[in-house]
Amino acid sequence: MAGFAIGQEIKKGSTRNSPARKPWGAIVMFLSPVMLYYLIFILYPILATFFYSFHTIEATGGKLVTTFVGLQNFFELFADDIFLISVKNTIIWSIVGPLMEMLVATLLAFIIFFKIPFSNFFRTAWFAPMLVSGVIVGLVFKWIFNFDWGLINVSLRAIGLDDLALNWLGRRDTPLWVVIFVHFWATFGYSFVLLLAGLSTISNELIEAARIDGASEPQISLKILFPMLMPTFITVLILSFMGKMRAFHIVWVLTNGGPMHFSETVATYVQKRAFGWSTLDLGYPSAIAVFWFGVVIVGVSLINRWLKTRVEY
Amino acid sequence: MNLEALEKIRINLRSFKRLSIKKILLTIGLLFFTVLVIIPFIWMILMSFRTTAEILNDPYGLPIEWRWNNYWQLIVDPKIAFYKYFVNSTIITIGALILTLILSTLGGYGFGRKRYDFKFRTPLFTLLLFALMLPPQIMYIPQFTMIAQYGLLNTYWSLILLYAATGLPVSTYLMATYFSQLPVEMEEAARIDGCGDLRMFWQVMLPLARPAVATIILINFMHFWNELLLAVTMNTQPEMRTIQVAMMNFVGEHGSNYAIAAASLVTSMLPVLILYIILSDRFIEGMTAGAIKG
Repeated sequence: MAGFAIGQEIKKGSTRNSPARKPWGAIVMFLSPVMLYYLIFILYPILATFFYSFHTIEATGGKLVTTFVGLQNFFELFADDIFLISVKNTIIWSIVGPLMEMLVATLLAFIIFFKIPFSNFFRTAWFAPMLVSGVIVGLVFKWIFNFDWGLINVSLRAIGLDDLALNWLGRRDTPLWVVIFVHFWATFGYSFVLLLAGLSTISNELIEAARIDGASEPQISLKILFPMLMPTFITVLILSFMGKMRAFHIVWVLTNGGPMHFSETVATYVQKRAFGWSTLDLGYPSAIAVFWFGVVIVGVSLINRWLKTRVEY
Repeated sequence: MNLEALEKIRINLRSFKRLSIKKILLTIGLLFFTVLVIIPFIWMILMSFRTTAEILNDPYGLPIEWRWNNYWQLIVDPKIAFYKYFVNSTIITIGALILTLILSTLGGYGFGRKRYDFKFRTPLFTLLLFALMLPPQIMYIPQFTMIAQYGLLNTYWSLILLYAATGLPVSTYLMATYFSQLPVEMEEAARIDGCGDLRMFWQVMLPLARPAVATIILINFMHFWNELLLAVTMNTQPEMRTIQVAMMNFVGEHGSNYAIAAASLVTSMLPVLILYIILSDRFIEGMTAGAIKG
C-alpha cells in the first residue's frame, strides 16, 4: 500500500510523447532480470507457501515427501493452545504498540516542528536505535532487565521501590510488556521521523496566518496541523502495525517466546514449528503463515477504512 | 556576502529571544528523555572497555582505565575467533549488495524512464511493490526448501541470494523514482550522437543517479548486516554463522564474560554506526523515502 501511488505517478509522466516504435529489446534487457529474480525468489515462494499449507511436507532420507491433507492444518490451528497464546500476544502487541508509538512520536514531531534548540541532535539520537540490530537490542535489554543487577532494578532499588524490582523476564505477566517496551524503544524514532517529514510538507503560510490571528502553538497543532497530517498519520500507523505483526529479531533474542510461551508471538512460533522443534513438517507452519498473512491484510485494510472514513466525513 | 552573514546572526538572535521559559523547560525535558534513549549505547560502550571483574563488582561504574584488551581478544583469541563471523558477514553483505545493485539499477532504469513504458509496465511495478508489505514468514519456508534442494544451505550463496531478494523491491522503487526525475534532454542529445540503450544507461544516466545508488547501498547494507531470521534458518553450521547469529550464541556460551560480550556487540555495531554518524541525513532520508509517499 505504501507505494502504489508511485506507479501511477510514473505512468503519468510517461504517457506524454510515445515514440512510433517501442525499444522492446531494451525493455526486456532492463526489466527481465529484476522480474525474473522476483518471480523465482519472492513470487514462487509465496505461492508455494499456500500450496504447502494444504499438505504435510516431511523430509525423510534427504527427500521431501508431500502429502495432501486438505484443510486439516487449518483445523489444527484452532486446537493448538500455543498458537492461540501467540495470536493473543501478537494482537495485544499490535494494538498497544502502535498506539503508544503514535502518541509519543506525534507529540515529539510537533515539539520539534516548532523549532526547539538541539532539534537536529534529538532527531539523530532518537532515530539511532532503528539502526541497531535486533540481536544487540535483545541482548542489551536482557541485561537491562536482569533481576539482580539490571539497570531497571538497580534504579528502582536506589529510590527505595524494592517491591517493584521484579524478575521481569521470568514471570508469566511481564515478559510480553518488556518486549513491547523494548520494541517501542527501537522503533519510535522511525515513526517520529516519518511524521516530522509529513509535517514539513504543510505550507508555512497557513501556520503564519493562524499565528497572526493569535492562535497558540498547541491550538495550531490540534486544529490545523493534525487534520492535515492525517494521511501521513494513517500510513505511519499501518507501517507500525505491520512492524509488530511480523517482528521477530527482538523477541527471539530477548525472551525467545518464553518463559513457557508467555511472550510467544506468531513470528517466533512459525520459526519454532518449522525449524526449531524436530516435528519435521513444513506444512503446518506454512498454514500458520498463510492464516497470519490473511490477518495482516484484514488488519491493514480495517485501519485504512476506519480512519479514512473518519477523516473524510 | 557580509550583509547576509549579519542578517543570519540577527535572525538567530531573534529566535533566541523568542525562547520562552516554557520552551527552555521543554528542551531540558527532551534532553533528559534523550539521555534515557541512548543510555543502552553508552553503557554498552563503557562496559566494553572494562574487565568482567570490574563489571560484576559495579555494573554501572566508569572504566578505571581505557583498555582495548577486550577488542584485541576478539581479534586474536583462537578460541573466540570472532573475526571469522565478521568476515562471513562482510562477504555475504557485499555479495548481496552487488547483486541488488545490478538488478535494481537496471530495473529502476527500465521502470523509471518513459522511453521504456508499455502496457503492462505499471501492473508489473505494482506487483513488485506488493512485496513491500509482505511479512517474511509468508515466503521463507519454501525459500528454505529451494535453497536446500540446490545444496546451498550453509554456503554464502544462500544468504546472498535471499538477501538480494528482500532488498530488491525497495531498491528498484527508489532507483525508479530517481531515474524518472532526470531530464529527457540529456538522453535525447546522447541518442542523436548514436548512443545505444545500454551505453546510455551505463555511461550517462547511472553516473547521474549516484545519490540514489548511495542511498540504496546504505539502507541495504544496514538491513543485510543486521538480518537474523534468514541467517538462523539457512546457515546453521557454526563456521558459516553471520555476525548476528554468532553474537547470540556467543553471549549464550560465554554468558559470564560480560566484557568480551559487550566488546563483540560494539564491534558488530561499528560499521553501521560509523556510517550513520557521518551520513545520518542520507540514512534517514533513504529509510523514509519508501514509506512516506502514497
